[in-house]
Amino acid sequence: MIMSPGLRKLALTTHVTSSVGWLGAVVAFLAVAVVGLTSQDARTVRGAYLVMEPAAWLVLVPLAFASLLTGIVQALGTTWGLFRHYWILFKLLITVFVTVVLLIYMDTFNVMAGVAADPGADLASVRSVSPALHAVLALLALLVAVVLAVYKPRGMTRYGWRKQHEQPRPA
Amino acid sequence: MRDRGEDTPVVDPPRYPGTPRWAKVFLIIALVVVPLFVGLLLTRGPGGHAPARHMPSGATGGHASPGTGHR
Repeated sequence: MIMSPGLRKLALTTHVTSSVGWLGAVVAFLAVAVVGLTSQDARTVRGAYLVMEPAAWLVLVPLAFASLLTGIVQALGTTWGLFRHYWILFKLLITVFVTVVLLIYMDTFNVMAGVAADPGADLASVRSVSPALHAVLALLALLVAVVLAVYKPRGMTRYGWRKQHEQPRPA
Repeated sequence: MRDRGEDTPVVDPPRYPGTPRWAKVFLIIALVVVPLFVGLLLTRGPGGHAPARHMPSGATGGHASPGTGHR
């Protein structure tokens, strides 16, 4: 079903907002991860790892799903389609992959928060390079998605090519 | 109503030009990165490491520092 122009703009606005918002949230997470790795104040270090899990559930996960779902709506509701153009297909794959990795990583956030909350754990046990590493990788993946969305490099899938050149059915 | 088969010639669609080079490069990179990640996940657990490594030493009797143990 092709959306009306007004609905299409609303869907596009929602998709861009959630996608760029997700990217911004990952940047913020990277900053928190760097603070956790570099701060010399014990409370700050523990606080950084304690805040990651709730912030991920409240910000990262909703934005990831919002980006994914609005992207699918945006694709299916326009003539672009979801599987006709490579740039859209790859954006979909990137978004799905990063979302799955995020969901799997929630368990790690939970473990790190548990260690940070343990007053018996020394700072070396609390610190972890993993959140920073994952944030960088997520940022790179999302930046690739943004570049694809803006530049829209040419290239249709075989399915898209076939759909574009289908003979119109007789009335 | 005219028969479509008699008056409307069926034109063969143009040949599919193939997958563009940038898409092939992208696919190759994905075919390397994704299995690598899945392999790390299966061998080392979520986040590239076993969560148990993060437990305080009092609970497990000793562990490697997660800040230095990542590869």
